[in-house]
Amino acid sequence: MVERSQKDVWRLTPWLMIALLLVNFVLMAFDAREITSGQRVVRSWTQTVADFVQSPVTSVTSSIANYFTDIANLRSAKSDNDILKQRVQELEVEAKQKEDLATENARLKSMLQLKETSKYKVLTARIIGRDPSVWFDSSIVNRGLLDGVAINMPVVDDGGLIGRVTAVGPLTCQIDLITKNKSGLGAVIGLVGESNALGVVMGTSKSGLLQMRYVPGTVEVKVGQSVFTTGQDGIYPPGLKVGVIVSVVTGSATTTHQIEIQPASKLNSMQEVGILLYEPPMRDSFDQKLPNAGKK
Amino acid sequence: MEGVKLTISLIIAILLQWTLRNVWDGFAFIDFPLIIVVYAALQRNAIRALLFATISGVTVDALSGGLLGANGFSKTIIAFIVSEIARRVYMDNLILRIPVIAGACLLNYAIYLGLHRLFGQPPSGDILVTAAYSLIGTTIAGTLVYLLLQSLSGDRTRRKKRDVFAPRRQTRRRNPIRLNK
Repeated sequence: MVERSQKDVWRLTPWLMIALLLVNFVLMAFDAREITSGQRVVRSWTQTVADFVQSPVTSVTSSIANYFTDIANLRSAKSDNDILKQRVQELEVEAKQKEDLATENARLKSMLQLKETSKYKVLTARIIGRDPSVWFDSSIVNRGLLDGVAINMPVVDDGGLIGRVTAVGPLTCQIDLITKNKSGLGAVIGLVGESNALGVVMGTSKSGLLQMRYVPGTVEVKVGQSVFTTGQDGIYPPGLKVGVIVSVVTGSATTTHQIEIQPASKLNSMQEVGILLYEPPMRDSFDQKLPNAGKK
Repeated sequence: MEGVKLTISLIIAILLQWTLRNVWDGFAFIDFPLIIVVYAALQRNAIRALLFATISGVTVDALSGGLLGANGFSKTIIAFIVSEIARRVYMDNLILRIPVIAGACLLNYAIYLGLHRLFGQPPSGDILVTAAYSLIGTTIAGTLVYLLLQSLSGDRTRRKKRDVFAPRRQTRRRNPIRLNK
């Protein structure tokens, strides 16, 4: 082992720093290119290796967190119990009504000779890691290439849309939430086919809220209306619930509405999610000739 | 021995950064690897600090949704600046280290955000609020971690403590018995 004098070390330091900065810069340039082109290889493999540590650690930390949450919850258990009993009764009535509606729906569908079977399957996954930095809304789940997950597959929970898969490793994948600044999806206020209030839903700097842009000011929009995906973005299937409108700054004939949406899914407390094994329909030959057609 | 201690601390810091957010979201505001990188730089071993900075930064980036290398880049610059300061100024006093970790935290976020803007990947969230919480969280956690690391340093602890608190004037009382001798 060669012993370096302190003077040699200080002489070497700036060069080492420049070399390390260059390495980091190259990594950033490489990663920024991968973000636009699809798969983020380095990240996927790191997360796969990290999964062997992350899964047991998540189990332990979850059980510790749950223990303290349970203690806190005990205080309000009795009143919660009464409310829940009432809620169960209401839900039973609601479920019966839904059952009737589903039967009616099935009958009408068969009359119209519509295809009943869903085009995609749902793969349940567990959140095993959250983004360690405070700036980005992404999570890591315990499903990967071996389970059939692919880039851009939509992720949902029982409430509605959560986001999409942005990096896939063999055992894990990373999902970006719809609240992320760079996210965007085609959406419609009300049901697809029944409304012409089309727009684009994007993440905002306000945590937990989404904004909907490009909705014409002439269309009537109210607080409390639901927003659904249109399927026109080539990523998400149509009809997934995105959220509920919480505020509207009404536009005019020449300006669009400014709409804020509360996501329907429980983004802050999600533990398990569903990955839709959905592949968007093939693009037209004209679309494939466009400059960005190769980008998924 | 110091190198081993710091390497173990860095590994623990990366693990904490990665896992603690699952327990409570507020832990995301503490940058544990930055604390260790600044501590390593303050030990006047610049090469170790630079390597720690790049490795910890890239690792955290690989587990995050941000740009791969952005954390490594910002932490490397921080490590270099802090080690240059530590080379010129006597920084073994804990009181002096608190503003250093606070400044390092702010500069780290400024570079990190700047790089993301440069590459067209602006992060989400209120930047000022997030930076303020991070500054407070990292500074408090950094002070506690430095106290812990110093207490683990064995022989050096007493000397460090003497630096933390202002030394009293040592005046020897005249012993009348000895004087008689």
